[in-house]
Amino acid sequence: MRGCSNRAAHPGHRLADVAVALRPDELARIRERLGREPTLVELHAFDAQWSEHCSYKSSRHLLKKLPTTGTAVVLGPAEDSGILHLGEWNGERYGIVIAHESHNHPSQVVPFEGAATGIGGIVRDVLCMGAHVIAVADPLRFGTIDDPHSHQRYVAQGVVDGISAYGNAIGVPNIAGDCYFDSRFDDNCLVNVVSMGIVKESEIIHSYAPRRADGWDIVLVGKATDPSGFGGASFSSLTLDAQDEDSNKGAVQVPDPFLKSVIMRASYRVFAYLRELGVAVGFKDLGAGGIMGCSAEIVSAGGYGAKIDLEAVNVAIEGMRPEVIAVGETQERLLWVVPPAVTPELLRIYNEEFTLPEIAYNARATTIGTVTAEKRYVLRYHDQTVMDVEIDFLTGSIRDDLPFTEPTVPAATAERPLVTGVQLDELIERVLAHGDVCSREPLYRRYDSVVRGCTVIPRGAGDAGVLAPVPGSSLGVALAVAGNPRMSHIDVRLAAEHAVYEAVRKVAATGARAIGLTDCLNFGNPRKIEHYNDLVAAIDGLARAAGRFNSPFVSGNVSLYNESANGRAIPASPIVSCVGAFNDIATVVTMPLKSAGSVLYLIGTPQLALGGSVLLDVLGRSDEHLPRIDYDATIAQHDLMYAAAQARLFRSAHAIGNGGLITAICEMAFAAMRKGRASIGAQIHDAWQWTHGSVGDLEAYFGEAGGFLVEVAADDVEAFEGLADDVTGVHEIGVTIERPVLVVDDQAFDLHRLHSIWNTPLREVYP
Amino acid sequence: MSARIAVLVFPGTNSEDETFRILRDCGGDVHLVHWSHAQTLPTFDAYVLPGGFAYEDRIRAGAIAAHDAMMDHVIAGAQAGKLVLGICNGAQILLEAGLVPGTAAIRRPTAAFTGNGPVPHFVCTHVYVKLAIDPARCAMTAGLGHDPLIPAWTANGEGRLAASKEHLQELEDGDHIAFVYAHEDGSVDDSASPNQSALGIAGLCNREGNVLALMPHPERDAWTLNHPDRRRGAAMLAPSGGAVFFRSFVGALQ
Repeated sequence: MRGCSNRAAHPGHRLADVAVALRPDELARIRERLGREPTLVELHAFDAQWSEHCSYKSSRHLLKKLPTTGTAVVLGPAEDSGILHLGEWNGERYGIVIAHESHNHPSQVVPFEGAATGIGGIVRDVLCMGAHVIAVADPLRFGTIDDPHSHQRYVAQGVVDGISAYGNAIGVPNIAGDCYFDSRFDDNCLVNVVSMGIVKESEIIHSYAPRRADGWDIVLVGKATDPSGFGGASFSSLTLDAQDEDSNKGAVQVPDPFLKSVIMRASYRVFAYLRELGVAVGFKDLGAGGIMGCSAEIVSAGGYGAKIDLEAVNVAIEGMRPEVIAVGETQERLLWVVPPAVTPELLRIYNEEFTLPEIAYNARATTIGTVTAEKRYVLRYHDQTVMDVEIDFLTGSIRDDLPFTEPTVPAATAERPLVTGVQLDELIERVLAHGDVCSREPLYRRYDSVVRGCTVIPRGAGDAGVLAPVPGSSLGVALAVAGNPRMSHIDVRLAAEHAVYEAVRKVAATGARAIGLTDCLNFGNPRKIEHYNDLVAAIDGLARAAGRFNSPFVSGNVSLYNESANGRAIPASPIVSCVGAFNDIATVVTMPLKSAGSVLYLIGTPQLALGGSVLLDVLGRSDEHLPRIDYDATIAQHDLMYAAAQARLFRSAHAIGNGGLITAICEMAFAAMRKGRASIGAQIHDAWQWTHGSVGDLEAYFGEAGGFLVEVAADDVEAFEGLADDVTGVHEIGVTIERPVLVVDDQAFDLHRLHSIWNTPLREVYP
Repeated sequence: MSARIAVLVFPGTNSEDETFRILRDCGGDVHLVHWSHAQTLPTFDAYVLPGGFAYEDRIRAGAIAAHDAMMDHVIAGAQAGKLVLGICNGAQILLEAGLVPGTAAIRRPTAAFTGNGPVPHFVCTHVYVKLAIDPARCAMTAGLGHDPLIPAWTANGEGRLAASKEHLQELEDGDHIAFVYAHEDGSVDDSASPNQSALGIAGLCNREGNVLALMPHPERDAWTLNHPDRRRGAAMLAPSGGAVFFRSFVGALQ
């Protein structure tokens, strides 16, 4: 016992009464290690730090399977974000900082604030690496939204508005995202957020106290600490119980993008000052576990301890309990570890030059503690020690080995082409109106996709968003997200492989070369064996696909317990984002068809496997057979995409995904429609001519095995076919024409009519 | 010595960097001036108010910023004949400050950019704007030539111009309607406006022609790489489209 006299929890205190999620065996470990009862502050600290959210206790050892190294990796998954090497310009090496996480639980309870703080948090993860924040992306999974008065509709609207309000205000363009609607997300939506930054590799700031930091200052920056977000880490590590709705709401933080906008700009100024000094410091985002979690991790990662004075913390209201100040998750806060000589200028920049105290009530930068050589974590409050523990015991990896078995995978059987008796015209219309296919414009037009003036492909103009992130240079970066819940309930391992393949494919469709990945693994309760099985299998699938595509994971996040009190869990949802690089942004390829008289090629091979497809969904059928990924052929196809883009042989290109080839053609034509401009349509040869009967028409037109549809100008056909000579799966399938119609074999469909069918469904939800 | 341009940064401004870059690339001697350095503003010859959410758009977009100390200097400069350009949030601030159309007292707005129609949501979409005045009417549009069509992005929640019937009449009679929304082919009709703005108004100027408020962002379609219909093999880093507007602005200072 080291003087921890304050507010010891009573022996035998009921854990439920102090609202912590620690399990009895975990509490016993703490008691044993401390040799006494933990204080209330310690109880809450361990509760946060040992939550699944902070500790990854049931997933960390599994995640070791993912490939995390490679020539493009500047920083793998160890700190707040990963960093990939983008390229060189004027003798400087530039890195892309990338982070990906979820804000699922908060968004289900209070959608606007939950989603907004998701953006706020992910942006800080990127900022604290010393980067300028250049983009966000938002993979979303909602429940069924048909009923205008349903909570699901309210969630779907509130989430989009929250992302829009926050991202737009801080001036970071939203350049990528996807959105699925599925009743299995009725009780638990998924709000994943991705953020990207640009940094000179020589100017990276790390999320740990650097060497010789003993005695350095710990400086807290940002919003005054308030009781919002108290218990957030353990909240997101529990299943959602409607009865606890009020206490759940209290666990959600309050967003302040206005303050964040100023903090970001002030931090950029601090980066410039540190560059002049040439001094290494530590900088870290406050997320789960608040001041305690952040300060403990930043010093322990450097091999130190810390002594923090909770009274020095700028608070929003008086009389807050020390455990609330210590672990509350108030938004818009960051933490610096700097030499004392740097502190005055740091405080001046935030407090005087950028006037933080005038921007939000009692917001400021303030010194709250000291880095210590002794590896203990000590919190003081009103002259009393309220926490004093071995720091490595607090932050060290705890591990839960949970039982799992191999998930059963549907056996491959000989299949036959699908025959429906439904007319092609009806199928096209029903597929285009499907919730996973129809236009996302009503949703993404609420996002500022072009602020910062660096956007090359905004939302809707390509499969990936593309930026020119270094003004004046020809470097370019692409970002795409993927993860198909219709596939994951059939075979989660293969669905995870498809998530990687789809993200890589979308990046390849813009002419970029994939350089790295991030993931967010959204699953149900890992203590139920079926969900843990899924998690194990998904990580296996991600590892396999990432290895084959030579794209390492550099950051990621695990979100478990996406389950309501009645036991309804989400479909296993491994969601992947992919970063692509351009040496010369002039080689970028966009999605809209460019001119009549071009030749259309399919690069990819349709399969006799419609499992998980939109087509089967609209037909009300199910099938256990997902398309397989032929990695050798696929990698050759991606190499061809890159080579042809480098040679500037594509007029337009689109990755084939939800709704298959026909949907891809329609989307390319829709994207080219503009008032006062000649329409471009397409004429597709009868599928037999290019499948030679290997699959049926429906598999050819609506199959979701992947691949690309590309437009090649007539003059470039010879050059393209030369490049494609040795690549399997390249099929000439048609031409572009000067009329706004899609001709398939001998049937013609009015593209304006199809556009209206595709464009309408989400307008009611996002007017 | 060339004329010095100040790009103003209010708390909440978010488009200062790209606005700075295009003015610099068009040959301007341009400087970012931050709210805690407001006292330096009188030494500048022209002011550009970029986009963003100054003071969080509290009350109405631009309403608080119009009363910021920085605006005292901008108002004094405008009254002395200096060029003042506001884009998006900057345009909203100029209207709230009463500098545009400038037909009533300072800080007594007669028109405002308000919640978009038909639904008051943020809208981000590519647009074109067309000059609706004689180029010589405003110093900063004089270099645009006849009938120019400028590509831009609209990205705002409050971009719909609203005013009473009398004040709209005043805008027309006083030749204040500097820019209207147009289609890519230059045609103008009701469907060209992304937000049901009155009279299709995208930009307004004051009587003297030295202050211009433009709602969409030409600086976001100012380099070839930004433009959705760039030609294959085009020089991606070259100024294009929206840069024409800023070249005219910088030209007016020389």
